[in-house]
Amino acid sequence: MNDKVRRSWLLVPASRDERIASAAASNADVVVLDLAELVAEKDKPSARDSFQGAIEPVKAGGVEIFAQVDPELMYADLRACVWPELAGVVVCRLEAAEQVREADRLLGELEEERGLVPGTLEIVASVENAQGNRAAYEIATCSPRVTALTLGRAELVMDLRPEPSGEIHLYQYLMQRLVTVANAAGVTPLGAWWRAPDRGLLATPERTGEAAVRGRAIGFKGSMCLLDNQAEPLNRGFSPTEREETEARRLVEAWKEHFVGGVARNDTMNLTGVEGFGQRLVGPESVQQSRNLLDLAARCAAKEEEKAAAVEQRPVPSP
Amino acid sequence: MAEERKVRRSGLTMPVVTPRFVNAAWTRGCDYINLDLEDSVPQHLKGYARGLIKEAIDNVSKGGAEAFTRINHDLIQADLEGIIWPGLSKVNYPKAEHGWEIEKLDRIITRLERERGIRPGTVEIGANIETSVGVANSYEIASASPRVKEFGGATGYDMSRDLGVEMFVGFDQFVYGKGEVELAARALGLEVRAAPFTANVTGSVSDPDRAFEEAEAARKCGFRIGGGLHPNVVAPQVKGLTPTDEEVEDARWVLERARELEASPDTWREVERNGKTWVIDRYEAARAVELLEWAALCAERDRSKEDAVARTQEQEVAQESPESRRGS
Repeated sequence: MNDKVRRSWLLVPASRDERIASAAASNADVVVLDLAELVAEKDKPSARDSFQGAIEPVKAGGVEIFAQVDPELMYADLRACVWPELAGVVVCRLEAAEQVREADRLLGELEEERGLVPGTLEIVASVENAQGNRAAYEIATCSPRVTALTLGRAELVMDLRPEPSGEIHLYQYLMQRLVTVANAAGVTPLGAWWRAPDRGLLATPERTGEAAVRGRAIGFKGSMCLLDNQAEPLNRGFSPTEREETEARRLVEAWKEHFVGGVARNDTMNLTGVEGFGQRLVGPESVQQSRNLLDLAARCAAKEEEKAAAVEQRPVPSP
Repeated sequence: MAEERKVRRSGLTMPVVTPRFVNAAWTRGCDYINLDLEDSVPQHLKGYARGLIKEAIDNVSKGGAEAFTRINHDLIQADLEGIIWPGLSKVNYPKAEHGWEIEKLDRIITRLERERGIRPGTVEIGANIETSVGVANSYEIASASPRVKEFGGATGYDMSRDLGVEMFVGFDQFVYGKGEVELAARALGLEVRAAPFTANVTGSVSDPDRAFEEAEAARKCGFRIGGGLHPNVVAPQVKGLTPTDEEVEDARWVLERARELEASPDTWREVERNGKTWVIDRYEAARAVELLEWAALCAERDRSKEDAVARTQEQEVAQESPESRRGS
């Protein structure tokens, strides 16, 4: 698992210049230039041809750039999208580890051919059907390039519809399975806990934010989305809240005081009576969790600064 | 040629040893009747019950319903010898736990089909997952025979007993097991036997309103299979699992919009209709195609059941008439 801040992954059809231009201004952490899911079949060849040009408007925005490729058209898609600015590829509708090995091999060849550092291009494995979900652990562990696992648009691919409760049928099982498998494999689980009427990564900004908060609560670290106005809610939803930060900072401070001359007074620290902590016993693990949260908050803040700085440096577009 | 999808919206499971249930079965309007040899038949009647199946198959299918039989987990050989007769569509095998059990059923059924002049491969196997071991081996079980065509479960009385939990509670206590089983079914391309969760704290199996609500939720979720224990739930299930005229109209409209979409550079768009925003894309188009096919199959099924009922009524009148004349 790497420590890059990637809370919002905005999927944009690589065939649509105006969408790419507006995506660059969306403040997404990652822009995914899609060749597979959002490009009409007849437009795919021209989208591949113009892919390198599509990177231009995005790369100045301080965002990371991924491409989404089709496993059935992997050779053509990868040849089209591997350029120095690319961080990696999302391979959608994955069904088997063999497809990942194939992507790994092709990426290696292209890195060599195009003078990129070997082994740097990442693979985000998107498992969207039942075979893919069953094979998720093998998919996530068969190549060191795989850094993240996601359900993508599984509810559409698998035709999972809303239940009377508003939950999407089978989705809670699939989400928890994916988060567990991703952690077991040491890769990042990506996704959000969508509820009807959210559909196929599409939701209002408000509902997107709620899906992110719920998703973060069950272990997701960031999510894909389809519209520019979903990026900010995802960034917020997957960042620690101020309240969490404050609590974490106080916990870390309290833990320092728990030590006398470098030795802990006890294995655990009783926070009963300390304001804001209720009746809690904390040990080194929960203190570490708080440090991780503070670290994530700092990295999120740094990411925002980085993106803002990049925007300032961006040349003013000619009218 | 692909096999035609079966329409199994409603079905009654009944003890084959209870004549008043079995004799009235054809009048109930079910898509299938499940003749039980298992839980509803007392131990000392198992042998007798088995002997009733051959005649009961013809009897219960007089109204156009398919005939199934649920056998006993531990009496595979004897039960199958007693029940595999022409007209039987499916053997339900309770508490399936291992792939080899299904392979064994398949071998015996294959032999009996040949011996008894039944087209090879006619009899399906319903592998019912009702225990934790069954959940753990669900993929192996579902893939053990091509006779397994629909798959689901991991809920119900037996599953509750296996887990040592109360069955009728206000939340879904089977999320994991149901998920495992459904994922296996989907990975193998089988018809999914599942339902959305609706809380049932009453334990009622005969409430028609409740049955309709559940069936409607299942239909909206894309599920097509029903079944129950009480005649009250048959009509609500048939109605609830059949697409409404409005849904058929919506599906046709979606397909028209999808055709327009194909001519554009977009892969999806939002369209306003009747005060609602509809997403049009290839997934919605696929749903619409499935719904129209399903609606046509349901209509066809309803017609064939009506025909069967009318034929049976005519025959019964014809049989009764001479006797009633003699009596007068």
